[in-house]
Formats: sequence, C-alpha cells, structure tokens
Amino acid sequence: MKNLPAYIVLLPLCSALLSLALSKIHRHLGRDVVFCALTGSLILSVLQLRQVIAEGPIHYVFGGYTIPYGIEFSIDTINAVIVVMVCLLGVLSCMFAFNFDTKGDAVQVGGAYTMHALLVLGMVGMTMTGDVFNLYVFLEITSLTAYCLIAMGGSRGVVSAFRYLLVGTVAATFYLLGVGILYSVTGTLNMADMAKCLAAGNNDSAMLMAMLLLIVSFGIKMAQFPFHGWQPSAYTHANTGARPLIAGAMGKIPAYAMFRYLYCIYGPGFKYFRFILLVIGILSVCGMIYGSVRAMAQRDIRKVLAYSSVAQISYISLGFAIGTPLALAGSFLHMVGHAFMKGGLFFAAGAISWKYGTFDLNDFGRIYKKMPWTAGLLTVGALSMIGIPPTVGFFSKWYLAFGAAESHQYVYIFVLVLSSLLNAIYFFKLIEKVFVQGEKNKRELHPNTSLEVPMSMMIPVVICILVILLLGVFNVKLVDILLISLKGVAL
Amino acid sequence: MMTQIEALLASKGIYFLTLLLLVLALYGIIVSKNYMKKLICMNVMQVAVIFFFLCFAQKDSGTIPVALHRIVHAADYINPLPHGLMLTAIVVSLGTTGVGLALLTRIKEKYGSIEEEDIIEGEKKFR
Amino acid sequence: MKKVLPLILILVCLGAAFWSFDFLPEIGDAGSKPNTHTTDYYIEHATTETNSPNMVTSVIVDYRAFDTMYETTVMFIAGVAALLILSSSPNRKNRIRTHHVRKNREHRGAPVYRTVNKEVVITIVKPLILLYAIYVLFHGEVSLGGGFQAGALMGMTYILDAMVIPEREGFRLSKENSAALGGVGTFIYVLTGILCMVGGGVFLEYKKLPLPVEVLEKHSVGMLLVEIGVAICVMATIITILNAIMERVHFDDDTN
Repeated sequence: MKNLPAYIVLLPLCSALLSLALSKIHRHLGRDVVFCALTGSLILSVLQLRQVIAEGPIHYVFGGYTIPYGIEFSIDTINAVIVVMVCLLGVLSCMFAFNFDTKGDAVQVGGAYTMHALLVLGMVGMTMTGDVFNLYVFLEITSLTAYCLIAMGGSRGVVSAFRYLLVGTVAATFYLLGVGILYSVTGTLNMADMAKCLAAGNNDSAMLMAMLLLIVSFGIKMAQFPFHGWQPSAYTHANTGARPLIAGAMGKIPAYAMFRYLYCIYGPGFKYFRFILLVIGILSVCGMIYGSVRAMAQRDIRKVLAYSSVAQISYISLGFAIGTPLALAGSFLHMVGHAFMKGGLFFAAGAISWKYGTFDLNDFGRIYKKMPWTAGLLTVGALSMIGIPPTVGFFSKWYLAFGAAESHQYVYIFVLVLSSLLNAIYFFKLIEKVFVQGEKNKRELHPNTSLEVPMSMMIPVVICILVILLLGVFNVKLVDILLISLKGVAL
Repeated sequence: MMTQIEALLASKGIYFLTLLLLVLALYGIIVSKNYMKKLICMNVMQVAVIFFFLCFAQKDSGTIPVALHRIVHAADYINPLPHGLMLTAIVVSLGTTGVGLALLTRIKEKYGSIEEEDIIEGEKKFR
Repeated sequence: MKKVLPLILILVCLGAAFWSFDFLPEIGDAGSKPNTHTTDYYIEHATTETNSPNMVTSVIVDYRAFDTMYETTVMFIAGVAALLILSSSPNRKNRIRTHHVRKNREHRGAPVYRTVNKEVVITIVKPLILLYAIYVLFHGEVSLGGGFQAGALMGMTYILDAMVIPEREGFRLSKENSAALGGVGTFIYVLTGILCMVGGGVFLEYKKLPLPVEVLEKHSVGMLLVEIGVAICVMATIITILNAIMERVHFDDDTN
C-alpha cells in the first residue's frame, strides 16, 4: 500500500467530480457514491494511522521526483490522527445531511454532496501536505466550498457567505504574501527544506514579518479572537446538513497549519519565537473570555455554539502559546475532542430543528422525554465543553493546565479556570432548559417515525456520544500517540 | 543622497509600488460601503500579490523560459516557478470572483440593493 | 474616525514595507535565493526529464502537477458553486424592492454596432478562434500556451455565440450538462494520474504510464492528456457560470 496517502485524497475527489454526472442518472446516485467514497477514505485513514504508528512518518512524493522539486505529503502521528477525525466527521455529517435534501432537483442534491466531499478533501489535504503552496491551494478549496455551503443556508446565509468571502480572501492573500516573503529568502516551497534553509540563513526580520502575516491569515480562517467577525453569522446561517462539518472541523485545520509553521518550519531556534508565542497567548486569553461572555447573551442555540467556538478555538491556540509537549498534546486532544463536541451539539440542534423546526433555547423545555438520545448528546457535549471528568473536555484542559504549570505560566491556568466557569454558566442553562423547564406545546414536523429521529440521524448522534466518552476514557493512549511526533518539535 | 535613492528605487522600488497597491485595496475593502466595490478591491489585492511574486522571477539578461537549445544554462532563463504558481493564483482569484458575483446577484435579488446599510436594515426583517 | 483608522493602518503597512526592503531580493538579481535554490534544477532538467522545452508548462503539469490538479478542481468548484447559489431563488413576496424606474429614457439614435452584420462576422471569426484554441492546446508543451488558455478561448467562442446572437439555434449546453462536463474534464486529469498508479508508479508519475512508447514520449502523452482535461474543465466552467447567470439576470440598468 505505498499509495495510501494518495488514495485518501483521491476517493473523495473522484466521487465529487462524478457526483453531478451520476445525479443525472438517478437523483440520489451521486450522493450515495460520495458517501461510499468518504467511508472508504475513513477506513484508509485508520489504516494509515496504524501504519504511521508502527513504521514512523510517511513521505509520499507526487510524480516520483526528489524532495524539494516535487510536491510531498508528509504524515506523522499528529496529522494522521487529525485526518481520521476529519474523515469520521465528514462521513457522519454526510449521513446526517441525507435528511435535509428532500427538496431540490438533481443538480442541487448532487451539487451539495459535491461540495461536501470537496470540503472534506480540502481539509484532509491541508492536513497532510508538506508543501506551502499546495497548502494554499487546499486552503482555497476549503474556503470556496465553505462559501457555497454557507450560502445554501438561505438568504441570510448568502450575506454571511459574502462577508466570509471578503474576509477569507484577505486571509488567503495574506497567506500568499507570507509565503512570498519566505520564498524570497529561501527559494524553496517544501516545508522540511524551508525549515532547513531558514535555520541555516540569518533572516530574522523576514521571518518575523512573514509570521505576523501568517498569524493574521490563519487567525481569520480559524476565527481567532480579533479576527472572528465573520464566524458567528456564518455558522448560524450555514446549510443545516453541512453545519456540523463546518463548525466542527473547519476551524481546526488552519490551527494545525499554524502549528506546522510555528513548530515545524520556524522552530524554537527562531529569534523572536517567544515574542510570537506571547502574541498568540494574549490573543487566546482575550478570545477565551470574550467568546464565553458573548455566548451567555444569546438565545438561539446556533449563536450560543458559534460564540462558544470562538472561545474553544482559543484553547487550542493557548496550547501552542504554552509550547511544552504536554500542552501541545492537550491542545491536539482538544482539537479532536472539540470537533466531536461541537459537531455533536450541532447534530443535536439539527435533529431538534428537523423534528420541531426551532432553534430557540426557550422551546427546548423537557425535550428529553421526546428525544432521549438527542438530549443525551446535548448533555454529554455540554458537560464535555465545561470539562466534567469522564469526558474528553476535562482531560484536554487538564493537559493544558499541566503544561502551563510546567512552564510556570500561571496566568494561563487562571484564565483556563475562569473560562471554564463561564462555560459552565451558559451550558448549565442549556441543560436546565432540556431537563427542567416546563414543556411547550410544539408541533412535530415529522410525526411518524419509529425512532425519535430517522436512523441516518440516530447514528451520528450515538457515535458522537461514544466518541466523546471514549476519547475521555482512553485519553492517555491518544496522548501517547501524539507525543511520538511532538517530542521532536516542542520546546 | 539622490543617487542612493535612485539605486534603491531601481533595485527595489517595484516592491514599494506593489505594496502600495495592496494597502490601497485593503483600505478600499475597509472603507467602501458598496459590496461591489469591496469585491473589486478584493480583486485588486489579489493582483498585487501576483505582481509581488513575479518580481522574484526577474533575472537580468534572462529570456522567457522556453528552451532554445538542448543544453540549457540556468542563468539564461528567468525563473519559471513563480510564473507557474501565479497561474494557480490567477485561477483561484477568478473562481473567488465568480462565486462572489453569484452571491451578489442573490443579495441584490433579495434585499434590492448592494449597499451595506440597506442590507443590514433588510437583514432585520428576516429571521 | 472611521476613515482615519484605516489610513493609519496603511501608513503603518507602508512603513513596514520600507523596513522590509532589507531582506527582499533585488530585482533582476540572478544570484538571489529564489533564482538559484530550486530553480536551477527546474531550468536545467526540464527539457531532458520532461521532454518539454517550455519550462513553465513542465513545472505546472509535471513537477507540480498535483497543484494544477487542484487548481482545475477550484475552477470546477467555482462553476458548481455559482450554479448552486443561483439555482434557488427568494420567494417573490419576501423580497425587498427599491425600484426607481426612470420613465423618460434618452434616445441617442441607433447604436453603432448595428451597422456591422454580427451574424456574418461571428460566423467568420468563430472557427478561427476555435482553431487557435486547438493550436494553443496541442502546442502548450512545446512553446507558449496550455490547457487553461485553450479552455478559455473555447469558452469564449461559446459566449460569443450565446450572447451576441441568443435567438439563433445552435450548439447549446444546458447548465446541468455543462457542470457535469466540468467534472468529467477534471476527472480526465485524475484518471491520467490513476493510470500511472496502475502502471506501478506513484500518482502522476508519467514515466510509468502503461503505454507502449518510450519514456520521454510518455511524459508528452501524460502532459497532453492533462492539458485536454484542463481545457475541457475550464471551457465547461465558463459555460456553466454563463448559463447560471444568464438565467437570472434581467438587464434592468434603469434602476438606481
């Protein structure tokens, strides 16, 4: 299986390209092919993870040229884990979206799944690639498909998508500018080669300028605090079927790319490294407080979750700012865990809106009687967001705090605890609405179902609960896997 | 003094012009209230970065990168790599502009205007 | 204040730009890093390794062919996205209307272009453009040109036909078909890469193409297949965007 990394990106690509043509034969044929291809790449990505753990990093060069001349996929344990996460979330949300495509003609159905597969492809590619310009192309694929999926959520979605398009293009342009500066002092585009050249030459001012541009660019893409303006309305008004994927995974991948630049290309030898870490740390601290405070004031569950994402993405960048191996492992654990928490909460919100057509928190009264599994997912997700022990949220915050204590940055621990308390306020409000508040008379949109929601919605809901709990129980195993690669790069 | 400035402009002046174009476009995106103008500014910004990349590719006494003989010397031809990369960037900017225009068509249909204030006003009417 | 803040930002950026002159290479410096580190290899080996005298072509469709594949995919996405965004329309009563129709339009006489017989001109020009497009497509690896340019030219012929003489019956693609065609065009590109894997190489390793020709010829064949795929995709994307927009836009240029 020497072509394993290529198959993982090729399966969704081929299915997406043919989806529209197949939809002409039968309305749902394209969608089924996309689903099968995504499942295929999930299986292959698990195989790849096993291979990476057993045999060390994979370097796959396209076209069979030597390294700085061809384009390379370099996969270590960290991005193998992230690829599995993206693929699993992609499959689940594709299955979830089956319920929302009942209206619309063949082009709309086929096209929506084309976009879905290409979004997964873009994120997988961004994670695995070892070439800075290739990263740009994948970044653009991710953003273009995301604009389209957000715009398909209705007329508010169109405006959000347009605003995201403007800001996102500024981000992509800044990224290209940063790459241009790095290219002008090294003359290479391969990440490993660039790291070597940067370490050899004396280019501190160029590197600093490029890094600032890159921080702005990835900050916009991952909705880091001062650059988050596009995010809440985009997550709120996105297409319901694609929302879990957009909210769950899309913000994490630029964060991983930022990690790549910070630790793999620049490395702690960079003169202004501490300064950059401090900048990221300050932004994360502000974001954690700001996101939680704003989330408390919302009534629409989608807005609550969107603002909470602003806070949660800051946990990940906080881990980068601390920089010890354990803190980095904590931030990757949070990345994987948060994808399923946020994705899961949006699955639950989508299931409730499928059944009752509402997103308002005040309409959720005693919903656990009608929809026990969905309420269970809401509870587990909310507890995990707050950080209650058996769930993954607790352990990721634990590793972050442990790392901060290791490097004596006690301010970060204080902010972590404060932000968790703020999280607790609004997530307990959510739990209270689900279990305690009086029931409202709600009309069921789809009354005749044997389960609480159809099977294709039930499976993502149950799997998300399981993943959140299992990641919490087996967190040591995952952290060990992550530490294999983190040992070499961290502070 | 003057000769120094001249030398600087000759060797690096074009970077200054490119970056001027970039920040002007950024200013336009921030200040203008019309979404169409914002889209145009976005496009100008992408063009600025394309120029920025092409600056590196220039070589004195180099010709276009099409080999004239079987044996080639690297010094005789300008750098083909940034040209290839920018072809990608051009296509991406074309795609982004296309999607942006499609979105604007929808916005205009729904809100009757592409001025920012009108759209914010209109958004309140719909959920 | 709102206009001053961005101005300050601009001044800061320009200041940073002046500062950044230090490390950027001089214009035209043949010894600078980007002109030596990897480029030397590309320039000196492109002809012998990839059998294409045009180094830009050999860089984009051979050394960095994987990038170009996704670049083509970006084109395809743009077409499908425009189609999807414009395929659903707001409910008529839920629209906000700000129509100020000007009643008395000025009459400035017949437009000048009416004096040219457009049907005759286009009938003459169209085959010439198509011929040029095909020349550019097949000549791309030898001299200047390539799939993108050829695709754009082919798309332009269609636009000329569809926009200047919309009433004439001719070759017309529906928007569903053109979007599907774009996907198929990119799929030809992917298929070229997959054929290389069938031949026992890695993805897009043209020298392992399972064809009965010598190694350098395989590179040429691979490039040609790729360029054809790109051309089809670009052409189909342009047609898709045209179709999607033409359905929706009513040219009411008298609204303010």
